[in-house]
Amino acid sequence: MSDTVTLAGPQQRQFNPYSDNGGTILAVAGANFSVIAGDTRQSEGYNIQTRYAPKVFRLTDKAVLAVNGFAADGNMFVKKVKQRLEWYRHAHSKDMPLRSIARLIQSMLYGRRFFPYYVYNILGGIEEDGSGAVYSFDPVGSYERETCRAAGAAQSLVQPFLDNQIYFKNQVAAPGTSHPSHLPLSDVLALVIDSFTSATERHIEVGDGLEIFIVLARGAPIHGLEAIQGIQEMTSNAEGERVFIVRRVLKYD
Amino acid sequence: MSIMEYNGGSVIAMVGKECVAIACDLRLGNQALGISSKFEKIFPVTDKLYVGLPGLATDVTTLKELFRYRVNMYTIKEEREIEPDTFAHLVSSTLYERRFGPYFIEPVMAGISTTPGGKVKPFIAATDLIGCLNFAKDFVVAGTASSKLFGVAEGLWEPDLEPEDLFETISQTMLNAVDRDAYSGWGTMVYVITKDKVIQRTLKGRMD
Amino acid sequence: MDHHPMNWGRPRNDMADPYGTYPIPQRPMNTQTFEDSVQHTQQPIVTGASVLAIKYANGVMLAADNLASYGSLARFKDVKRVIQVGSSTIVGASGDMSDFQYLQRELDELVIDEITHSDGHNLGAKEIHEYLSNLLYARRSKINPLWNSLLVGGCSPEGKRFLAYVDLLGTTYSASTLATGYGAYIAQPLLRKAVEGREDTLTEAEAVKILEDSLKVLYYRDARSLNKYQIAKVTAQGVEISDSKSQDTTWGFAEGIRGYGAQTQ
Repeated sequence: MSDTVTLAGPQQRQFNPYSDNGGTILAVAGANFSVIAGDTRQSEGYNIQTRYAPKVFRLTDKAVLAVNGFAADGNMFVKKVKQRLEWYRHAHSKDMPLRSIARLIQSMLYGRRFFPYYVYNILGGIEEDGSGAVYSFDPVGSYERETCRAAGAAQSLVQPFLDNQIYFKNQVAAPGTSHPSHLPLSDVLALVIDSFTSATERHIEVGDGLEIFIVLARGAPIHGLEAIQGIQEMTSNAEGERVFIVRRVLKYD
Repeated sequence: MSIMEYNGGSVIAMVGKECVAIACDLRLGNQALGISSKFEKIFPVTDKLYVGLPGLATDVTTLKELFRYRVNMYTIKEEREIEPDTFAHLVSSTLYERRFGPYFIEPVMAGISTTPGGKVKPFIAATDLIGCLNFAKDFVVAGTASSKLFGVAEGLWEPDLEPEDLFETISQTMLNAVDRDAYSGWGTMVYVITKDKVIQRTLKGRMD
Repeated sequence: MDHHPMNWGRPRNDMADPYGTYPIPQRPMNTQTFEDSVQHTQQPIVTGASVLAIKYANGVMLAADNLASYGSLARFKDVKRVIQVGSSTIVGASGDMSDFQYLQRELDELVIDEITHSDGHNLGAKEIHEYLSNLLYARRSKINPLWNSLLVGGCSPEGKRFLAYVDLLGTTYSASTLATGYGAYIAQPLLRKAVEGREDTLTEAEAVKILEDSLKVLYYRDARSLNKYQIAKVTAQGVEISDSKSQDTTWGFAEGIRGYGAQTQ
């Protein structure tokens, strides 16, 4: 009987626990500030799920985390990071330093080495020495401190532009001068907005809205921030570092 | 393995004020292995028209010769030089002849034409590997670094650049884009075409 | 026949072992039949199609038809895919209906637990959406998903509206118009055009019209839909889920079109 029955091989269909929700994030460190930005479009394939889904989150007064990739993993990851930071606050009566948050994030990502969070993280903020800092991560926790980093759908469009405009790559300073190691805040904001308008122009998964977080070091001059239209302060403790958010519209198409 | 990325290489063209520019990298690779840093991908068609052929290296050589042949035949029959827009259609139809077994090349063209009234008209165009034409007003890109070229060009380019400014813009775009592309680089070549001369420069850049 | 005591209570398998031969056929002892092959949902079986929802002046309105399909078979035509949860929340489900019924039981338990606390706190739509998100995300993380796309709508007694989506991957988002399934392709553009920028001024009648027009388009174009649906609303006053109703449709145009009408050639 059994050898008269020919069975087709077992049909295997594997549930795919991941998705890609598009979007792009970007962060730039200044001498005494840090700028962290992300667009607000969330998409799957050719569908725009929503025009406003934040990807950038204030963790503390000196740390902002941008999360890009699979949105469900991203939101869960941010939730868990925030939880760990709250525990730290209760245990030590202070906010976790930025470099420690960076190491925490690496441990949490590597903890899921064999079922990774499909998420690219960029952490921006102010270091304990008052300098602006950006840390970027891969999904399994490799990380590095940098001056600027783009990630997400339009990384390949934005990163070489930033190499050129922030790091002055392939530019030669005039004789007797040198390139600045850090740009002023106004220049950085202009570059961030230009990067996102360019990415919106050429990438279908980028657009709708832009959220730019600015973290200022303790006692740093306000850099004419109050003049920026629609700027909002999100600082919780007036003594320390200050966090601001600026929102801009991007094209809907 | 994508055939389009087998040898690597990129080309970009930009429009300026009464001028155009076209640039290519000089790398020829065998996937990740670099083979040559002298592999030019831009070829003159007429005095004021150049074509860039990024893609599969064997097809670069084949198409260069095929276009030379067809442009020569055109010149003999018509007893005049081919106009940029005519050449773009020649490229398009040549590629579409091989619609179902294509050459793995995405040509980029840049040239200027002069109207009978003496007006200078800049012209750029690009096609995909089966000849779908794209006449852009600003810039066109192709090759393994195309997404990077798009990003930088979108940020740096502006309308009505004078030849020297256009040269700087296309050079910076090319250099910074290929530095982020493993399959492009190893030298860069730029042509700026104006109504009375062509400036050809080889750029110093990263060689890693 | 197999009369051996070892096989009492087991399914007969006369073909494989017709006479209960000696020596005693090796059977696994003291083991659960399915222990080494726990089945996870690999695909939805009985499915509901689109759910649509919009924000309007008084609250949130949600619509879904009453069909649960078994593949291409219109299997159950009186299924309620919109439910009330607590006092100020509605949930609409598409995807696997058995998974949805499981979710209903979980939500009932959640609501009962909350009532027994009797601490004066109410579960709002935001909390129920968060609960569902965590549940669905936890299940996807066990590679054992609950195969649904859900819309959660709510309105607090103070009039604060809530509308959000969650699916089998744990993906969440919110917007003033939402649609699941084919609705995301067919109805969402219509909803956005009709609603965006008018969330605070749309009347109840206008909201019903927008949803019914979209449902009709879906009925014409989505083969897994039914012209029998319910519309639910949640306002500051609470939840109302309508009885099933249907709309007039026109098929006269199909007469002369090959593929629509009765022609065979």
